[in-house]
Amino acid sequence: MGYARAWKARTGRRVIGSFPMNFPSEMAHAAGALPLIIQEAEDPITAGHGLLFPFYCGFTRSAVDQAAKGDLAVLDAIMFGDHCVQLLGAADAVRVALPDTRVIFFQLISSMCDPWTLGRSKESFEKLRFELEDFIGEPVRDDAMRASIALFNRGRQAMRELYRMRVEGRVALTAREMQYVVKSSMVMDRAEHLELVEALVASASENLPQPEKRAVRLHLSGHFCQAPKPELLDMIEGCGAIVVGDDLYHGYRYISTDVGEEGNPMDSLARWYLDRNTGVPCPTRVQNDVDWDAFLLDAMRKESAEGMIVLMAKFCEPHMYYYPEVKEAFEKAGMPHLLIETEHESMALEHMRTRVESFLELIKRRRGVARANTPEGEVA
Amino acid sequence: MNAPVTLPKPPGAANKLKSTRMAGKLVNDYWEMVWRAKEEGKLVCWYEGSSINPFLEAADIVWVHGEAYSAMLAARHQEGPAQAAAEERGYLRELCSYARTHLGCAVNNQRHRNGSDSAFADVPADEDISAKLPPPDMIISAYAYCSTGQQWDEMTSRLFGKKIPIFNVSIPWIWASGKDAGYCRGQEWEETSRYVARQLEEMVKFIEEQTGKPYPWDRLRELMGNVKKASELRLEAMDMCRAKPAPATLFDWSVSIAPINQLPCTTDIVDYFTNVRNEVAERVRTGEAAVPKEKYRLFFDGIMNWNKLGWLAEKFARYDAAVVAGRYTHMAFWQEPDLIDPNNPVMGMGQNYLICPNNHSSPILIDLIMGLCEKYEVDGIVFHATRTCRAFTNPMFMIAQEATSRLGIQTTMFEGDVADETFYKDELLNTRVEAMLEAIDQKRLSAF
Repeated sequence: MGYARAWKARTGRRVIGSFPMNFPSEMAHAAGALPLIIQEAEDPITAGHGLLFPFYCGFTRSAVDQAAKGDLAVLDAIMFGDHCVQLLGAADAVRVALPDTRVIFFQLISSMCDPWTLGRSKESFEKLRFELEDFIGEPVRDDAMRASIALFNRGRQAMRELYRMRVEGRVALTAREMQYVVKSSMVMDRAEHLELVEALVASASENLPQPEKRAVRLHLSGHFCQAPKPELLDMIEGCGAIVVGDDLYHGYRYISTDVGEEGNPMDSLARWYLDRNTGVPCPTRVQNDVDWDAFLLDAMRKESAEGMIVLMAKFCEPHMYYYPEVKEAFEKAGMPHLLIETEHESMALEHMRTRVESFLELIKRRRGVARANTPEGEVA
Repeated sequence: MNAPVTLPKPPGAANKLKSTRMAGKLVNDYWEMVWRAKEEGKLVCWYEGSSINPFLEAADIVWVHGEAYSAMLAARHQEGPAQAAAEERGYLRELCSYARTHLGCAVNNQRHRNGSDSAFADVPADEDISAKLPPPDMIISAYAYCSTGQQWDEMTSRLFGKKIPIFNVSIPWIWASGKDAGYCRGQEWEETSRYVARQLEEMVKFIEEQTGKPYPWDRLRELMGNVKKASELRLEAMDMCRAKPAPATLFDWSVSIAPINQLPCTTDIVDYFTNVRNEVAERVRTGEAAVPKEKYRLFFDGIMNWNKLGWLAEKFARYDAAVVAGRYTHMAFWQEPDLIDPNNPVMGMGQNYLICPNNHSSPILIDLIMGLCEKYEVDGIVFHATRTCRAFTNPMFMIAQEATSRLGIQTTMFEGDVADETFYKDELLNTRVEAMLEAIDQKRLSAF
């Protein structure tokens, strides 16, 4: 929030917050505001206990806690359209906690392959745009929307280039650093952010350290709303792994899909909403013709990942529903995975370290078995 | 070996309605019909949430309401095998226990069906009714508010290998945007009603595809005529509980959920609620109380704890507390019969799905609850903090704050769950309810 406060003081313009997961920040940007995706804070939950029960995910409790403490005062409005039941509860509580802040909501359809999904998505975005225009007191022009879409696309493309470079070993970014790159794009001025990312891409291959050869290549999966704690990422890599891919919200999921730059921007946003779930399926949507488990296995093949750590935010219902499908598919494919539940308040990091070390050890042993089974291994 | 000592059962403190005993028979008959469905060559549809059963019943499709099956298992204390099967497959304990139990039934069903090639192959025990549920020929998802419903249906479909046709009806949350927003009014309400009705029309086409027959609209009209009448009788009887002492409690209305929510919409349900209405009216006339020494009147906010239904009825009665109304029983299940036009039922059905109480954001919901608290002249609200049902727990703190500031009444909370008994904490409930009742006593004393 510090950046947003400074930006607001510097520019005198509005800051519009949004909840994860599918609100198009381009819309708020085109209205001349700084779009900011509300993040899980570091603080322990205190005031928020008076609005939500402790058996909610860390993100929703933290968002409500921040509202109750007055930490979201920098936001002129909050816009969202998602449907997770805990997010809806949080939005209701935030509206109560911030009676002077306009909270704009229109529910996006979450059933993704109905004949009316595209049309309804467009209606939802149009409704959000209508309410945004009502709030700022002027229309949001189509050409401004297209310009914002183009800028955001460039940002996503630059970040995806970093992802490609990481898979290919052309950039040495830790999981923590990659998270910083994506997370900062959620809260910063996009033009400023783009400049920094493009500079990072340009300079990345200089002084490239050689990765440790025996490091296990991992894919991180999960966390649809909040960023995994950086110390958790450090711990995983500190055990002898390198993260080569992810489908985290504060990662590839967020930057996976561009919005069409031609034509009616509302059509493009609706299309983007559907394409996003086909590109990187999300368990918060239902789409019978797309399989998240198959996507994960395919992504890992492309990344040459040897195992996956599932980071499940405790109490995340969509993730709990889908996890058995992933578990079963991975067991069937013989692909190792490890489930770690994460919490807002505390994590038994040392206990987790033991589990991660054992998991990595298991993968390394499989390498040995695989080598022994090759013709070369047999000779040896 | 000594013979087991059987202690005499203490007389029940709760004076339950006699007319609701018929619900047990109707419920048993209904589930027997479900279990026979495949033998009789019937198509079976699984669904959760909204009461779309009349649409199915009219088309001669056997309907299985997931929550109802889980609730029935929990009420009979037979939820264990289903929940164990779900856990074994990887469904974590914090997941909605309705869903977890029902998905466990699907897991069990698949295991027994595919016994020869499954590592989990097993023969169900005779008493394990989780495995008796006939597998679906179709799935319809029409769930208001809670994202869990749609995901639950999707996962059911995947458990059956995505081979079963599935249809989704999206029911948007009423956020109460715009100056004209309110309960059953405003542009948002009108737009959303039309959106849901359009999808229901599409759902009927889906049903026609499954049955291969034209949809029997006349039959639906007839069934909805019964539903409307039953709903009016139910609301009339509930309304009579404004009387002091109250002739019936929330626990009687909980027993009566199945007849209004998922039992066949024949004249049986009209007869059932006629009998209930008549008994309640007679109790009002004679002054017969549901809680013989009614001293406190309470509102129950939260979904029912099906493992503990009878237990809670007795417990509150022993505290001389009549739980006269609740969000679950008094704000749902064909709650607005006036919206139903049996001759043209689709729009009114969709609107009744939309007014599931949780589907209103807090400004509307809180007004409705405060209205009920005033209507039934309650002394306090008991919140059932339902561990795995966030749809119900979402607004609880906000409701509690408003009850205190707007009505000046006491509130308390206890932890439990819809279908997972392990979350229920009896001593916590005792302590908190006793503290609340003492506070009510103190308030009454200070009023003199």
